[in-house]
Amino acid sequence: MADESPEVPEDLAQVANGKGIPLDLMRRALALGFPAEAVKQQIQLPGADAEQAEKFIAEQERIRAGGEITIPEELAKAADKNGWPEELIKRALALGAQAEMLITQMEAGIRPDQAERFIVQQERMRDAAARGEQALDLSWMRVPTEWGIRARPGKKGLTVSAINIGSYASVPDVWPYQTEMPRGAHPIPGIPAMGYSIYEKADLWADNAADLYEEAIQRRWRPATDIPWDSMEPLPDEIERAMCQLCTYFCEKGLLAGDVVGKWLPEMSYGYHEVKLYLSTAEFDAARQFEVFRKRALSNGGGMGVQSPGYFHRAIIDTRVWTEASAVLHILSNSFLIGMYQVGEYVAHNEAESLIFRLCMQDVSRQIAYGVQHLKQFLLRKLDKRAEVHAYLNKAEAVMTYDEEQDTPRREALIILLGGGVSKEQILDGVRKLEYFKRRWVRDYVARLDAAGLPERRERLHPLLKKYLEEPTVAQAAA
Amino acid sequence: MTQETKVKATFPSIEWFNALRDIINDDDAYRHIGTCDAIVGVKVPDAKKHFLITFEAFEVLAAKEVSETEAEDSDFWLEMPDARWREMIENIGENGKADLHHTLNTIDLEDPEGFARSNDGYRRDAFYRFNQSFQHFFDSSAKIDTKFA
Repeated sequence: MADESPEVPEDLAQVANGKGIPLDLMRRALALGFPAEAVKQQIQLPGADAEQAEKFIAEQERIRAGGEITIPEELAKAADKNGWPEELIKRALALGAQAEMLITQMEAGIRPDQAERFIVQQERMRDAAARGEQALDLSWMRVPTEWGIRARPGKKGLTVSAINIGSYASVPDVWPYQTEMPRGAHPIPGIPAMGYSIYEKADLWADNAADLYEEAIQRRWRPATDIPWDSMEPLPDEIERAMCQLCTYFCEKGLLAGDVVGKWLPEMSYGYHEVKLYLSTAEFDAARQFEVFRKRALSNGGGMGVQSPGYFHRAIIDTRVWTEASAVLHILSNSFLIGMYQVGEYVAHNEAESLIFRLCMQDVSRQIAYGVQHLKQFLLRKLDKRAEVHAYLNKAEAVMTYDEEQDTPRREALIILLGGGVSKEQILDGVRKLEYFKRRWVRDYVARLDAAGLPERRERLHPLLKKYLEEPTVAQAAA
Repeated sequence: MTQETKVKATFPSIEWFNALRDIINDDDAYRHIGTCDAIVGVKVPDAKKHFLITFEAFEVLAAKEVSETEAEDSDFWLEMPDARWREMIENIGENGKADLHHTLNTIDLEDPEGFARSNDGYRRDAFYRFNQSFQHFFDSSAKIDTKFA
């Protein structure tokens, strides 16, 4: 009589040999109808060995031969507590389910009717395999990831933070995979690398990233319809020209911010999806900034102004590591940008401008929040990098102040808008107010760096910025 | 034609802030702005009145009268002289919302110390992050028949 034992596929045999599990055991498992891929995954699990495999297969053979199925006491208790019938438990055990796994499923809230549907499907597969019929492989259903997760919506709905539970909440200090596999999934060998360069949590993480993502999605707005464009009325020529010049500058800043983030996103590995998600909304915010200021420039009888010198833009785009890019773009550049938005709201001539600047303040302040929290955790984790961060800021502050000196159109536009015109008195008033506001911008920039864990920056500021901390406060802007 | 009956309340008082909280929590327009999470102090120094308002998700969770120290134990607190508070609230009442010269941001810029103050440079930025929600909150005081203490 010919030997009817199933053949052990080569890849399964290789794994079994590596684990010291006899091939005869594998033949017995296949004869029971277990798919080869499923057997391979089971014996690959940590702790699986020949003794455990023998015990499991012998038990399955005993059950198939009509032997009594014994339900372990702990499983019986859990089944009783969760309303799973004894017959269902026996069918699951007959299929080879482990008692611990069944208890986990029950505790995760899987209902008996849901379990039965799965068991029926598995029984069909087993029977089809026993008859030698072609059946779906379905071994992927036995993926060794944490299963039975049931995140619950909170006051803000089902947020990204709300699904960070169990093993899915674990964010490793170093992400070991080079592929597009999302965190918590099971890796398979042979997938080509994606070419990421940022694998360390310290190099991109911020504890507020998931919340900032949700905040950005929740607080999104639409320039086309949310802005009361019909509230705009013709303005004096010099005022319209000054506002359009600022809008041109803000358009440049929007495009630049999008390019910087867009350049770095593909460098960030998939293990830190909270950061990638938030930064993709920051890119969208940057696009909206460009959109709304171009619309403002082209909707009230004006047009685009002249471009800015761009020295600082190049300094930002030429940054070599993400932490440098983030500190320079999100904290330094955006501290001054949000200051200009505040001024824009302060000098607004209509409801449209007032709302545009307020909403843009909200968008850019989320970027600042990410930048501050990222720098904070970077400095906490990389104690030897403090001097390097100062070096980034030394360079960036110097270029920014030089750029500001060279950008006559922007400075004069701000003076005209703050003074309300181009008469001698108005210009003097505009100059005085601009100096007053610059003092506030520097104060806020230093306060943010202080919150990020860099309080000594106050003493190391570029001289052209530091002078604003040292001079006495001038009369208030409205005076 | 029926005329809307306004809630009457005196500023500054916990009744005034509770009335504002109730208006906001029944306001779809506020919800439409998006989630807002911040603890905001309010200081009315001349009257020696201090309040703490908790904004959470889509609602104002609580408003309570507190000590000055507790008001400062917040993301940021709003502080200006009584007369300026009165001017802002009267302006909102007259226009249905703050005019261009009485927005929270404008008032903040005009005060060298700032209208929004904090002991933490990161937490103070909540003033900017949720600015439109806070503006909507105070603009909604137009629906209160406000008397001043």
